[in-house]
Amino acid sequence: MAGTGHAQLRDRDDVLLRVKDLVVHFPAGRRRVVHAVSEVTFDVVSGETLGIVGESGCGKSTVARAIIRLVDITAGEVLYEGRDLARLEGEDLRRVRPQVQMIFQDPISSLNPRRRVRDVIAEGLAVWGDDIGSWSRDRIDELMDAVGVEARYGARRPHEFSGGQCQRIGIARALALDPKVLICDEPVSALDVSIQAQILNLLQDMKRRYGLTVLFISHDLSVVKNVSDRIVVMYLGKVCEIGSTEELYSSPAHPYTRALLASIPEPAPTVDVSEGDIGDELPSATAPPSGCRFHTRCPRATDVCREVEPATEQVGDADHFVACHHPVAVEVALGAR
Amino acid sequence: MSPDGRPSRKGRASRQRLLRRFRVFRLVRSSKGPESDGPGEDEAVRRRLGVGFWLAVVWLVVMAFIALFAPMLPFADPTKVGYSGPREPPSADAWFGTDALGRDVFSRTMYGARISLAVGGFAIVFGMVVGGALGILAGYFRGRLDQAVGFAFFVLLSFPALVLAILITATLKRSLLVVSLTIGILAVAPVGLLARASTLVYAEREFVAAARVLGARNGRIIVRELLPNVVIPMGALTLLGMAVAVVAEGSLAFLGLSVAGDEAISWGKMIVDGAGLRDLQNATHVAMFPVVVMFVTVLALNFAGDRIRQYFDVKELAF
Amino acid sequence: MAPDQTTAAPVPLLSVRDLHVRFPTERGTVNAVNGVSFDLYEGKTLAIVGESGSGKSVTAKTLMNLLPRTARVSGEVTYDGRDVRALAAEKVKHFFGVQMTMVFQDPMTSLNPVKKVGEQIAETLRYHLGRSRSEALEEAVELLDVVGMPEPARRVSQYPHELSGGLRQRVVIAMALACQPRLLIADEPTTAVDVTVQKHLLDLLDELRRNRGMSMILITHDLGVAHGRADDVAVMYAGRVVETADARTLFFDMRHPYTEALLRSIPRIDDPVHHRLDPIPGRPPELIDPPDECAFAPRCIYAQSDCLGGVPELSGLVGLHRFACLHPTGTERGMAAMSSNRAAGATAAGLPVTGSGGGSG
Repeated sequence: MAGTGHAQLRDRDDVLLRVKDLVVHFPAGRRRVVHAVSEVTFDVVSGETLGIVGESGCGKSTVARAIIRLVDITAGEVLYEGRDLARLEGEDLRRVRPQVQMIFQDPISSLNPRRRVRDVIAEGLAVWGDDIGSWSRDRIDELMDAVGVEARYGARRPHEFSGGQCQRIGIARALALDPKVLICDEPVSALDVSIQAQILNLLQDMKRRYGLTVLFISHDLSVVKNVSDRIVVMYLGKVCEIGSTEELYSSPAHPYTRALLASIPEPAPTVDVSEGDIGDELPSATAPPSGCRFHTRCPRATDVCREVEPATEQVGDADHFVACHHPVAVEVALGAR
Repeated sequence: MSPDGRPSRKGRASRQRLLRRFRVFRLVRSSKGPESDGPGEDEAVRRRLGVGFWLAVVWLVVMAFIALFAPMLPFADPTKVGYSGPREPPSADAWFGTDALGRDVFSRTMYGARISLAVGGFAIVFGMVVGGALGILAGYFRGRLDQAVGFAFFVLLSFPALVLAILITATLKRSLLVVSLTIGILAVAPVGLLARASTLVYAEREFVAAARVLGARNGRIIVRELLPNVVIPMGALTLLGMAVAVVAEGSLAFLGLSVAGDEAISWGKMIVDGAGLRDLQNATHVAMFPVVVMFVTVLALNFAGDRIRQYFDVKELAF
Repeated sequence: MAPDQTTAAPVPLLSVRDLHVRFPTERGTVNAVNGVSFDLYEGKTLAIVGESGSGKSVTAKTLMNLLPRTARVSGEVTYDGRDVRALAAEKVKHFFGVQMTMVFQDPMTSLNPVKKVGEQIAETLRYHLGRSRSEALEEAVELLDVVGMPEPARRVSQYPHELSGGLRQRVVIAMALACQPRLLIADEPTTAVDVTVQKHLLDLLDELRRNRGMSMILITHDLGVAHGRADDVAVMYAGRVVETADARTLFFDMRHPYTEALLRSIPRIDDPVHHRLDPIPGRPPELIDPPDECAFAPRCIYAQSDCLGGVPELSGLVGLHRFACLHPTGTERGMAAMSSNRAAGATAAGLPVTGSGGGSG
């Protein structure tokens, strides 16, 4: 999975966010580093929902946190409206922050237990109060109404709400500053099945209502398919496959994408169930495999995969890019059925 | 949204401020609505502080009152030598008897509360403010600052407390301030480590990340997000820490290192006065009464402190 | 699945009747399990599906006698003709963990972090089966091999923290299998692992069950997992089984509105992109002092006034399709309830119903 190269970048005027060769290393003691994100490249156009999917340890959350500068960027660019967020520091960075907001995985942990939910939602407005003008109570009421939390409960503390309600409050907090980009990091995976759909629909509604561009991170292929226009599949810090949602699910070209689709309890019809039988040991991120990082588990791996890192290349002439020496061609995919 | 006739914004804001002040002691109480999964009134009822707590509080309030207003209260002059004969047993005239110099033990015990409580209170406040601030800053910023502060804490902890106390009190004038500061410095490291540990826990939480993403500056994050969470476990320890400080003052007194001067009466010094062999054999009451009062006070501090700690142990989850 | 296996033994291996579990708490009594009954036959897999608070895990822990002391349990649990609760009360050795074993969601709850995994497996063998130390260690290697652990001879001398989540769960399964149990209770065994690992573990459990003729209770919140891996499925809601049937019937011809709504609310891989989901409105009920009505009624688009008049009984024959609903979906009564609610614009419980929202499936 190597996934270097920039073939997947689009040359369009409405590109809002462009992540280029993003690298994030974490120190792991004894001078070793965890290669959490390695040369990840993708872009997001205005109004789009980009899904990032992969298993734990693939670096999808780290990409999100790097874009929003919650983790330090080792190398690479994060171009937002022409400015490189990776180079911004201090007050310059702080001034951009309201435009890129985030929703977290654990709705309970993401709310301060000692603060009233109204204050939690108003925090952004309070921080920027000087610049935006005195923040209004009506704005908070409107937000609470929009996300479906009754305004009369504003004086309560987070522990008095269920997980689903807390996630709604987190969404309201993120929307208070009228962001352009909303990063959702596994926003429904901590919620009960019957609540997940409520939150997914809410995110969809909010996207439309507030004209958001969304980066949606999840390990759940069905959820990502439901919300995304375009999808990035990641493995061990690298991009394996990028494409429009339809393309990616109808003709997955990377063996890893296919393995994922074959592993879910009700496998996708486009792949053969046996393709899910990849080894179950994830290589260490402190010493990632040479060449294509997926070669240790890949059923199609050859010598070249062990030595040479594949670059992303277009599949046919569709909006579909894959970083693989031996991608599964569409015809083969159909034959496997 | 809310159909009920809402009071004007201004009225509402001031009412909320009032409520907030009032609610400091009612954190867990809340009315339960149809949309809430949280604890209802029934929990508040069950989380009462108990009779023992209130007994402890009454004792502490009385002691504090006496300490503050001792000169205005109808006590005998505690320094007057020969108030009665030496080592007289308790009587209607001298409730706690008299000591070797014939001074009224009751009056001295009451006056002793002044220095004992002042030293205890000042020391723990100092420890809380300095230790708490250092601990929070170290836990939040990590890195070099954390290393430096952590090193300082460990030096303070490893240095024998008694030696440090002797060094300071023996070289400086043993005023109330110096003795309090000495004990306060000893409180800095334990309090600081506690503050640092709870800051580390909360700084990892996503609400801190969320605040940063919203553009909050470090100062705001520390004050709005971390402090309310860190201060409560610390605050609950204030009374416990004060108990330790009161005992520490007693220990210093035993070494003759408490506040200097005959006017400066403290329980510790009184116990020392009554701890001579002859007193212990013939006039146990001279040492016993200050011991009992000090013991009950420390017990009350511990008990009340522990109950408060439990009371403020607010759950975060409804389940 | 597998209708050819319906000629199972007439006597169930495990039979649960009218199981109730209550926990006294500060806030009142939590009615965690309210009258659960089911049968499990030799060699079959029963999936118990539900959301958090549905009582599925408490049910499993009751079977394994793992509840805290404060729990108040009533009802009958019979395993192979023996009264399980009496066995638990008598502290019978070599029953729990031998005849019946359990695999938990988090493997670290069953593993000792400071002991080598081989020793931990061997310990089970020595305690329950009286093996010698060397025999037990040899068997541990074999067991690790059985559960598909790569390089089992090397793994026995590793500590749990040296293994990935998937491999740890394999160790736990190996421990569970050590005494050749006839019943394995797996409580969310794959919730903490990734999908590719999940597939391996579920395949493994399936294979072991088939090869060893084990019965299995699979507790899960994931309908997909239940669908692919179970013979029978019981759907739990608010401490009750609301519907139980063979997997095929349950997923394709369900009767309980909750089952229907749950299946409708989850996104599926073959749904079109940006497919609008049909969420279940509201949220699961309180388990403290629940009102005397169908627990799902406040969220149910079929709810009629009689749904609010008492808790519906699970009707039908044990072992066949049973459901606890007065206006089941896919029946005339259900259709009538739905159309009257649509006409009224709301259910008897006050839930607004629009023309488009769900229903006639």
